[in-house]
Amino acid sequence: MSGDSKPITIVVDGVEIEAAEGAMLVDAAKHGDVEIPVFCYEPKLGDPVGACRMCLVEIEGIPKLQTACSTPVRDGMVVYTQNDRVKEAQNAIVEFLLVNHPLDCPVCDKGGECPLQDIALGWGAGKSRVTDPKRHFQKPIPLSPLIRIDRERCIMCYRCVRFSQEVSEDEQLQLLDRGDRSYVGTHEDRPYIGPFHGNIIELCPVGALTSQSYRFRARPWDIEDAGSVCTLCPSQCNVKFTVRDEKVVRVLARDNEQVDDGWLCDKGRFGYQMLSSPDRPLTPQVGGGGSLEPASWEEALETAARGLAPAIGRTAAIVGGGASNEEGWLIQRLVRGVLGSRDVASTARRGLGRAARTRLASPELAVATADIDDAGAILVLGCDPMNEMPIVELRIRKAVRRSGAKLLVATERPTALDGGAAIGSAGCIGAQRYAPGEALDFIEGLRAAIASGDADDDAAGFADALRDDGPVVIVWGEGILAGADREQVAEALLGLADVLGLDGRDGAGLYEIPAATNGRGLREVGCAEESGPGYAATEPGRSADEIRAALEAGDLDAVILADVDPIRDFDDPEGWKRALSAAKFTLDISLLPGESGRAANVHLPAESHAEKEGTLTHPDGRLQRVRPSVPRPGAVRPLWQALSELSGLLGADPGAGTAGEVFDLIAAEVPFYAGITVDDIGGMGLRWQDRHGLEPAGELEAAEPPPAPATDGKLRLGTYTELWADHVAEDNPALRFLAVGQTLELGPDDAERLGLEHGQRVEVSADGRSLTATVGLRERMLAGTAFLARGTATDPAGVLAGATSIDVAPAPGPEPEPAVESSDADGEAEKRPEPAAPSLVVTKREPVSW
Amino acid sequence: MALRDSADSHQVAPKARSGRFREVPTAGEQLETRVLLRHIDEPGLHRIEIYEQLGGYTALKRAFRDCEPGELVSEFEASGLRGRGGAGFSMGKKASFLPHGDMDKYLCCNADESEPGAFKDRELMFKNPHQLVEGVAIGAMAAGATRAFIFIRGEYAEVADRLDAAVAEAYEAGYLGAGVLGTKIDADIVVHRGAGAYICGEETALLDSLEGKRGNPRLKPPFPAIQGLYGGPTLINNVETLSNLPNIVNRGPDWFKSFGTEQSTGTKVVSVSGCVQRPGNYEIELGIPARDIIFGLAGGPLPGRTIKAWYPGGSSAPVLGPEELDLPYSFESLAEAGSMLGSGSIIVADDTISIPEMALRTARFYRHESCGKCSPCREGTNWTVKMLERVVRGEATPMDLDIIASVQENIIGNCLCVLGDSMAMPVGAMVRRWRGEFEETIARAREAGPAALDVEPAVMTPAGVGA
Repeated sequence: MSGDSKPITIVVDGVEIEAAEGAMLVDAAKHGDVEIPVFCYEPKLGDPVGACRMCLVEIEGIPKLQTACSTPVRDGMVVYTQNDRVKEAQNAIVEFLLVNHPLDCPVCDKGGECPLQDIALGWGAGKSRVTDPKRHFQKPIPLSPLIRIDRERCIMCYRCVRFSQEVSEDEQLQLLDRGDRSYVGTHEDRPYIGPFHGNIIELCPVGALTSQSYRFRARPWDIEDAGSVCTLCPSQCNVKFTVRDEKVVRVLARDNEQVDDGWLCDKGRFGYQMLSSPDRPLTPQVGGGGSLEPASWEEALETAARGLAPAIGRTAAIVGGGASNEEGWLIQRLVRGVLGSRDVASTARRGLGRAARTRLASPELAVATADIDDAGAILVLGCDPMNEMPIVELRIRKAVRRSGAKLLVATERPTALDGGAAIGSAGCIGAQRYAPGEALDFIEGLRAAIASGDADDDAAGFADALRDDGPVVIVWGEGILAGADREQVAEALLGLADVLGLDGRDGAGLYEIPAATNGRGLREVGCAEESGPGYAATEPGRSADEIRAALEAGDLDAVILADVDPIRDFDDPEGWKRALSAAKFTLDISLLPGESGRAANVHLPAESHAEKEGTLTHPDGRLQRVRPSVPRPGAVRPLWQALSELSGLLGADPGAGTAGEVFDLIAAEVPFYAGITVDDIGGMGLRWQDRHGLEPAGELEAAEPPPAPATDGKLRLGTYTELWADHVAEDNPALRFLAVGQTLELGPDDAERLGLEHGQRVEVSADGRSLTATVGLRERMLAGTAFLARGTATDPAGVLAGATSIDVAPAPGPEPEPAVESSDADGEAEKRPEPAAPSLVVTKREPVSW
Repeated sequence: MALRDSADSHQVAPKARSGRFREVPTAGEQLETRVLLRHIDEPGLHRIEIYEQLGGYTALKRAFRDCEPGELVSEFEASGLRGRGGAGFSMGKKASFLPHGDMDKYLCCNADESEPGAFKDRELMFKNPHQLVEGVAIGAMAAGATRAFIFIRGEYAEVADRLDAAVAEAYEAGYLGAGVLGTKIDADIVVHRGAGAYICGEETALLDSLEGKRGNPRLKPPFPAIQGLYGGPTLINNVETLSNLPNIVNRGPDWFKSFGTEQSTGTKVVSVSGCVQRPGNYEIELGIPARDIIFGLAGGPLPGRTIKAWYPGGSSAPVLGPEELDLPYSFESLAEAGSMLGSGSIIVADDTISIPEMALRTARFYRHESCGKCSPCREGTNWTVKMLERVVRGEATPMDLDIIASVQENIIGNCLCVLGDSMAMPVGAMVRRWRGEFEETIARAREAGPAALDVEPAVMTPAGVGA
């Protein structure tokens, strides 16, 4: 509820309670330590529905019992939640719910952490008078490869259906049939597939929906919960790891309204099996030339020191997005301060200069994640939240659905949000496409249209929708800065913010989706080409591409790779292979080494996000703590410690005894983190903008944008981030069915023009390089454009790095199997026979576009 | 007053169960007061020219040309017209709850007549569709709604065809559409056919269904008058309620109030069915003794039979016995007797009818029609059916009768909408009142052995899923 509602007093069971006016009675009563039992009520899902009737209470002056979940409190309200009449009703509802619910608690996975068990015990009569047979279903059957459904246990609370229809808006789950025959299902028993569908497991108040990868792995009394933060994408959702026998066996949401609203995506929820992957090295390794042998930490660190020591001034580091602020800061300190080099990068392409970066990071222009809820209009610019920061997609859908925010989408590639976009006043569709790499023209055009106030073309109609009374939030992707015109794009974006009056307006501003999980934090602690910690002035270093070229040319001798696999994730994999073999020394720090890691001279085993201690900076500036939830397996050590030791071996120990002390060192160097301690950050995080301002550094320099590339009538190529195109999908058996191969996305008209069909294998080539992909037709594409995903296991878009236009030809060789594959999410090696019915055809599905 | 002469009345010739026509006793005619059914058997009444010849659409002309919406609402309120769909809430008062202002408002006519025993709207719509169209247009205008929907149950296909034709004729004649009769007021009517669910007669489920969703009741508040169809203020009224509006506009609220009792004004079309000689629709002045309707109009039970029980207001009304036959047939007196007038559908059971089987049949209907959204109704109807099946199979004990009665108590007042109560009230009343018969039934069925009654399986599994 909003903070400005006035406090009132209600009387619950004879006790006076202070409450916020308009709060639901069930919530208000909690302030008086009165628990009113609920099943269907879940504020995260939107308005109450009053279906389960468990929360019936007596309110003076109202003859019938009322549902506390849907009754807003009024001053002076007198409520009884425990008198005979209410108790009788509560007993009755529990009895009704148990009419068809099997009492199979001893073999039910929910047993011990089951709201129905708790409420039956706490508010039920203790015995049931039902002697008639209960309803039966085939059970448990897969609802999806990740979830099993036991319909006999379902108490029809509607939570999962409401989630599917009103939160993720994929609308796949429905309540089918009627009355006591009702059951939850999907159209024609298709599997329920969506990037957020795992949330229904957690929403289910009984054992009807169970996690395929967790069921029968533990009992509640076998497990412990440990709170931390997921580092698999920039959403940085707050999570609770379920730990059994020192292993993570489940991931649950740890509600933080300011960050994730209590939701998780399936990547975060099911991406924990890799933490105990047999492929994960648990000791340091030493070697080279593609072979690595286990070694002790002493040996590994000494080898690393020996390898790096001669490369003074000739060492580069690339820090991947999963690294913590501490790790990033220690690495840049090692490179800049100890090894006397200036080459520290954390992104695939060169980042912005200090002037533009500090202006974009201005607290005056910043919005908190929760501000999206109350936005009057939201412009999604150059990003696809579902693939890049999934939880923000849910936030945007929530703002549109519940608060009527106007949504506008301007991207290169179609997004799942397109269909929900508002219609501009000039009749233009609120979802617009611009050609790959042409964000600058679009932003400039939009800024000009808003400034001029003309309302006669498409851009103006779009502009008109943005001239909203409510605050405007621009959700933009770091991807628009990937081109050589990044400084101009940043300036245009600042100009757009200016013309919309976002500066200093409450709840209005810019919201950046960085390219990697801790992209913002790494940048702020100094892992950037253009600036040191706190955006301090520093001599600009090489970007990742330049590091590659310098290694290959022998201008650099050593490289440190932390949580990054440039061969897979960055441009020009062949170039990186050459660069790494040319490097005299490579230190790799990773959880599951990829091809780059395996080519290293020293590999240090990284901690997983369930093991490490440190801080991250959320894209909205919120510092968050990653806390150790399980012990480090094998010989894995805290990375901050190993990095400190390595620095010490090279002559400059930073002098920190704990991870918290490393953060203190950071806070001493980053002006806008000053005075913040890990205790201040706590469990829910702290936005640094709430404590500090940020002065812009330097002047923006006017520069001419580079000329647009000629496309000579060929397809223009864009690249994109795909949620499942990384190692997480492959390293977690449960998620393997979601791993994607390379797809060439095309509009139907272009495909017809080129004589290509959906599903056809093609060779995509540019400038003498080529890769193989499957044609995928997509609606709402800009004519003449095509897209490839970055970071796929084979044929990543990076192969064609730098290409702006492509040739497409049918691939030689036999037609391969269709991309559809099914997998046993259990992660057990043996193939089980497919269940007889319903047949399981696994296809990836996005939330509907309204 | 002109209408009250009996010569103007016209008896609907009911069909006897045998299929032969019965003689209509003259006594019956005097008991009827025909207002809504006045011209009901006029050949071609469903066509606009006949309806206009009989004075149709004069009220609409007056309303659109000479009246302010607020004035009409006051007239409706003054007439004392109560909703004819079941709840009996003052129509004018409900219309007055709609907020004033520029937002989109709607009128929904509830023509989802699905209550067992009710068939009055069917006749009103099939034979005199223009009376409803006129009423809907007037009601919409009074409510400030420019868009009205008639939600008709899908099974009434022929009736819906008639309504479609009538609406088309009214558009043609300028009574509907943009700028009705040259005024600046718009009135659009859409006839929407339901897909066959009793629950869609519940007003908020009707709205969900109309919006294209699964027909489930919504939580109230907010009431539809504040937040209804597509989130806009919505007035929802029954067919018969709206059919009354042209007469009220034409003749004034005082004329309307001259019929009926103080709290139940006007006339009411009563559907009489069950064990009577002449089942059918009869329009009576509210407040006449129920005996006059059942015996005087419907001819009473077949010769040699006696009345054992009767539902005064459809299958959801608590069942009354022969002792209550002399009650005035009005909202207030039936409520006082612990039952209700409901939609005005009398179902008569004579002494050959087994009360437990009647209870089972009633319960099965509601179990089948429960939407399943709220627990007490979904599970309570299902559990009650299973227990009553055991009663008629002889597998129950007297203790089960206590449980049945207690389950009905647990349902009443605890549900999201009134569907659960609609089963619990009559079933509860039957178990209380005829407990002896229930006990005898159990004993008799037990002696007769299995298969005393053909009972459908207790467990129903959804197609394609069940094991």
